[in-house]
Amino acid sequence: MKDTYLKRLTDIPMEDYLVGGHVACQGCSASLGLRLALKVLGKDTIVINGSGCMTLLPVYPTTPLRVPWLHLAIENSGAAGTALYYALRRKNIDANILCYAGDGATYDIGLQSLSGAAEKNIDMIYICYNNQSFGNTGHQRASSTPRASRTSTTPVGKVEAAKDMTAIMAAHRISYVATACPSYPIDFLNKVTKAAEVKGMAFIDLLVPCPVGWGFDPSEGINIGKLAVRTGMWKLYEITDGRVNLTHIPKKRRRVSEYLCAQGRFSHLSERDIEEVQAEVDQEWSSLEARGYGYEIMV
Amino acid sequence: MITGNGAAAWGARLARSEIVPNFPITPQTAIIEVISSWIASGEMNADFLPMESEHSVQSALAAASSAGTRVFSATSSQGLLLMTEMMFVTSGLRLPVVMVNVSRALSAPITLWSDHNDVLAQRDSGWLQIFCSNNQEVLDSVVMGYKIAENSDVLLPMMINLDGFILSATREPVEIPDQDEIDDFLPAYNPKHTILDPKEPMSVGGVVFDEYMYFRSQQRMAMCNSKDIITDVCAEWEKMTDRRYGLVEPYCLEDSERVLVICGSESAILKYTVDKLRADGEKVGMLRLRTVRPFPCEGIVDALSDVEEIGVIDQDISPGSGGIIATEMKACLGRDVTSFIAGLGGRRIGAEKYEQMFKRLGRDVEEWIF
Repeated sequence: MKDTYLKRLTDIPMEDYLVGGHVACQGCSASLGLRLALKVLGKDTIVINGSGCMTLLPVYPTTPLRVPWLHLAIENSGAAGTALYYALRRKNIDANILCYAGDGATYDIGLQSLSGAAEKNIDMIYICYNNQSFGNTGHQRASSTPRASRTSTTPVGKVEAAKDMTAIMAAHRISYVATACPSYPIDFLNKVTKAAEVKGMAFIDLLVPCPVGWGFDPSEGINIGKLAVRTGMWKLYEITDGRVNLTHIPKKRRRVSEYLCAQGRFSHLSERDIEEVQAEVDQEWSSLEARGYGYEIMV
Repeated sequence: MITGNGAAAWGARLARSEIVPNFPITPQTAIIEVISSWIASGEMNADFLPMESEHSVQSALAAASSAGTRVFSATSSQGLLLMTEMMFVTSGLRLPVVMVNVSRALSAPITLWSDHNDVLAQRDSGWLQIFCSNNQEVLDSVVMGYKIAENSDVLLPMMINLDGFILSATREPVEIPDQDEIDDFLPAYNPKHTILDPKEPMSVGGVVFDEYMYFRSQQRMAMCNSKDIITDVCAEWEKMTDRRYGLVEPYCLEDSERVLVICGSESAILKYTVDKLRADGEKVGMLRLRTVRPFPCEGIVDALSDVEEIGVIDQDISPGSGGIIATEMKACLGRDVTSFIAGLGGRRIGAEKYEQMFKRLGRDVEEWIF
């Protein structure tokens, strides 16, 4: 492991580029994700934001950001990042380009623009802060919403499974793809470091538990993220050279009911529904175990 | 001899545009094709960014301009409308993007031929809008466009319209100025209001609440300021090239009793018609609106105050209201005009129909000339 990688929490840089006093909700993991990412990316970073919860960070005439920030619209972070890459090259500015956009802006409305940037393998880091819904408008269904989750537009639970976004990104043969969760900051930040080190595009799907949309106490956000991973419902992995490798394997997987029953969005599920989810997760993990927690995704 | 599309590309090249995001659409495509060949051969020092949609083209223009580079693109019709959301963002962020639109009627029914509903659908987007009458004017307007848009009293994006096929594909003699001359005329772009550099962190595109109306009023002021800036830049251009432009182009208005108002390349045939009728002793004239945004109200009032009968030719239609230019002319002049809807989807107008229009002036009606 290179010495640029973090080993313990105290290795996380103290310096902050997203400072306190902003208007994100209490217990918001999305703003935590950005704060953490900027700690390792440092001051030479330019953030491009797709409209969503994080758009409310700079409220005129104030800004909690100590690095440059560009917000244009919801669906064009990929295009904006592409143009910024060339503009910075012309201006001789050496900076990380960090696109920080929500899952609605990534899985759904911005997929085309993101695909355009991925096809060109533009040297930038794209972090999708994934609260599994259109969070800023009040938790509506998105293609990132998991099956069974209740949203304000799926009052009896979503029927379809979430889109496999990382596989879509891997299929573009970009340089680096990973999933993460701010509840596992060392794992997340080392992935951000790798994302910054690789030449070409890096995509990180970052699960950010949302107290308002998911229905849990704001103090519980970190625990909910941990439960998502410990129950096996959110897998931490990276994809390099067409190969998926898990970066964290829960020693003893917890029952999915611990995760589901802690959230209002799953409170309508019957025991039988929960057992179905458990069976699905079990099946997936036995398949993963059989493959040594790593497998080829691209030929 | 170059086409209107060639002239547009030459304008971008002479202005030293640095970043050219693009997406093909008929009848604009030849502009980006020729630019791509110049970049490949090293004749033009720019980055060619093939995007996956026009929405992304406009997003890329906005992002690259926010970072302080000079940007150019071209589009048409459906492509321009796909950009709509971002047109307002570019203008609201006060980014002096210059973009050519090769006008083409809107679908459905889908067609390739020209009219002005595509441009005028962007009328309220806060972009300056120039309508060109010939290929020389296309080249000149692109270069002048940067100087106007980048002026610190303006800082608004500019759209330069040329009519599809009529100009885009027609070869005309065009004088191409020397690069040195243009470099003196148009200094490098170094913005102070948007910077994306970690040395000077700035949040661009933040949220406003109560201040929103204040920003919109600044945009309106910039649009008002642009009238003088356009006039000044055109005067400077005339000194350099002997070619005169302004907000409006009056033709034979000194003693005119009857006048037709028009935008774009159709003005050439209308001028021919005016000459022909004048040879028969008829006191007719023409007023071409070169800018539609800003709407050149003062110039229109000056030019038309003594005219008895005014007709306005719209190559566009706002169903349920009428000709868009006619509606604005009535608001500007405070009097009746005869509104002619003609040339939709590139339908041929021609001198005979212009003669017919001159005969039918004097009624406050909307008449469709098929």
